[in-house]
Amino acid sequence: MRGPKNGQIKTDRRGFLTGLLAASLAPRLTWADAGDPAYLAAAREADGTFALFGLSLNGTDLFRIPLPARGHAAAAHPTRPEAVAFARRPGTYALVINCVDGNVMHRLTAPKGRHFYGHGTFIDDDTLCCTENDVATGEGRISLWSRSAGYARIGDIPSGGIGPHDIKLMPDGKTLVVANGGILTHPDTGREKLNLDTMRPNLSYVDPASGPVETITLPPELHQNSIRHLDLRADGLVAFAMQWEGELGAPVPLLGLHIRGPNPIDAEPILAEPAPADLAALKGYAGSVSFDGTGKRIAITSPVGGKMLVHDLEGGDWLWPRRDVCGVASSPSGFLVTDGLGGVFRIIGEQAENLALANRAWDNHLVKIG
Amino acid sequence: MRHLLIALLLPTSALAGVDEVIDSHILPGYAGFAAATAALSQSAAQDCTAPALQPAYHAAFDAWMGVSHITLGPIEEGGLRQQIAFWPDAKNSTGRHLGALLAAEDSAVDRPESFAEVSIAARGLFALERMLYEADLNGYAAGSYPCHLVQAISADLAASGQSLTEGWESEHAETLRSAGAAGNNTYLSEREALQALYTALLTGLEFDKDARLAQPLGSFERPRPRRAEARRSGRSLRNVTLSLTALRDLAEHLTQGQSPQTRAAFDRAITAAEKLDDPVFEGVNDPSSRLKVEILQQSIASVSEAIQIEIGPLLGVSAGFNALDGD
Repeated sequence: MRGPKNGQIKTDRRGFLTGLLAASLAPRLTWADAGDPAYLAAAREADGTFALFGLSLNGTDLFRIPLPARGHAAAAHPTRPEAVAFARRPGTYALVINCVDGNVMHRLTAPKGRHFYGHGTFIDDDTLCCTENDVATGEGRISLWSRSAGYARIGDIPSGGIGPHDIKLMPDGKTLVVANGGILTHPDTGREKLNLDTMRPNLSYVDPASGPVETITLPPELHQNSIRHLDLRADGLVAFAMQWEGELGAPVPLLGLHIRGPNPIDAEPILAEPAPADLAALKGYAGSVSFDGTGKRIAITSPVGGKMLVHDLEGGDWLWPRRDVCGVASSPSGFLVTDGLGGVFRIIGEQAENLALANRAWDNHLVKIG
Repeated sequence: MRHLLIALLLPTSALAGVDEVIDSHILPGYAGFAAATAALSQSAAQDCTAPALQPAYHAAFDAWMGVSHITLGPIEEGGLRQQIAFWPDAKNSTGRHLGALLAAEDSAVDRPESFAEVSIAARGLFALERMLYEADLNGYAAGSYPCHLVQAISADLAASGQSLTEGWESEHAETLRSAGAAGNNTYLSEREALQALYTALLTGLEFDKDARLAQPLGSFERPRPRRAEARRSGRSLRNVTLSLTALRDLAEHLTQGQSPQTRAAFDRAITAAEKLDDPVFEGVNDPSSRLKVEILQQSIASVSEAIQIEIGPLLGVSAGFNALDGD
């Protein structure tokens, strides 16, 4: 592991010229300049401070950048070594961090009356999309920010529901898919859930130019199943993970699948039906979701139940116990997984290999770069 | 090196606490549950009728309360916990699945292998409770289909009890003891063993407070006394008392008696439970008796606070980073 380094530009007697050169070179930095990380993950350090890490495919630390406070998810620029770290919900700022030198390049501030929900994604080299709450109306919004304009806010569109959380770009490169969790909150009452009786989560496909183009809902009896996290396969299959806000009882589905068809009305979501006992072990809570590297298996993690459940699309499921497990992303032939005890694991088939153990607590999400 | 460093930073008493929990709390607890469920199964084989079997049912449930908070080890496999104790059950899954078995006289009861395929809602202590205490179910005669069902549920519980105690004796006790050793993929450091037991302690209290008491309390406008755990057999409050007693025992062994504030908080909560004259929490309907249940609930919350203030720092662990702050 190496620490954040300063720019590789030498200071010499032609300092002024070098400075100009640096300005013109800086935009050409790539992820290779940051050590070629495969993943981003935030963590709480043993001393109680927070940091953003770049991890290799093998789970080793490539860089470490201090963060001012606990974050939630991060968005990685597709090619530039820039990470956008979001404050925890209901945070009002996000930091654009240069992962080569560790400097904060820009600070995104939500306008008055808005706050971020903790997730965002780039839709091209220039445009970042973030999920937001319009506090006065409770309507979910997606804000757009332009990198070439110094990460200036350039607009916003409806998310298609209340409480948008995770957001991803579809493989068509132009449509967003948003998990509208359905839960109304207000900054005055923090994370208190204000509408559990009437909540109605959905999965929305959104055109960044106009707004929602298709909305997928759950059966009425599952209206308290908050759709919160997403992952995508190259063919457009969307996997969404849910968190149950209803009464305790028989376990409810926590993983759904959807693919857009030619006729939107036909496109009902499919809800995974693992063995009831395996599902019950997740305690109604899925914190992250990811396809594996083969696209044939999908993992959901439950830090509450201390379990990861892997669904095989060809049938069958596998429950892996690991306390405080939450971060999961694909690795070439399986998954990479992080937990609150500082562990990094590679899962291939039904084998878990411990790759690293550090005295830090990995935060909710492991974000794949590229 | 990193593992060594963590080990050096831990007080030696903390690691000795893991051994003490295994030897004085977990292994005897599971041995007790295995013995009580074996006795239940034998008793059912001899006389399956409800009045004859009720004492063995209570003994098995009492033994379960000694280990129901142990969230680590073989209990994690294959949904064994729900298979033994399927509750809460707001949708009456147990009633529906039992009803289906009884209506069809399903031959799954004839062999343990086939009964193992039956829905977990129709197995375990809560299915047995229905058969032994529901007025429209418990009048069955020896040799009848319901009698065979009761025998199958009892034998299934005994098999679970046996496999849990064997799993701990043959493997998991050593896995937990050898936390941090090379090749131990379950507990990667000694701290993880402490963390697992600490989490079990807090999760157990949370279940008492947020399920065993919160379910019948419902809301002030809408109390839900019929949701009390094991109300049919009159064990709702007894389960809370036994659970608190078992959790106090776990805390004492884990800290080797070095947690006086936690001990005092447990004593207050257990006293509050023992004083409560409301075995199935029917009092939640009445404002003054409801208050007593809420006071018990508050006293359990105080135990959790004491643990986090006193035992967390003592062991150098904290409750789950992600589990407590998801999004």
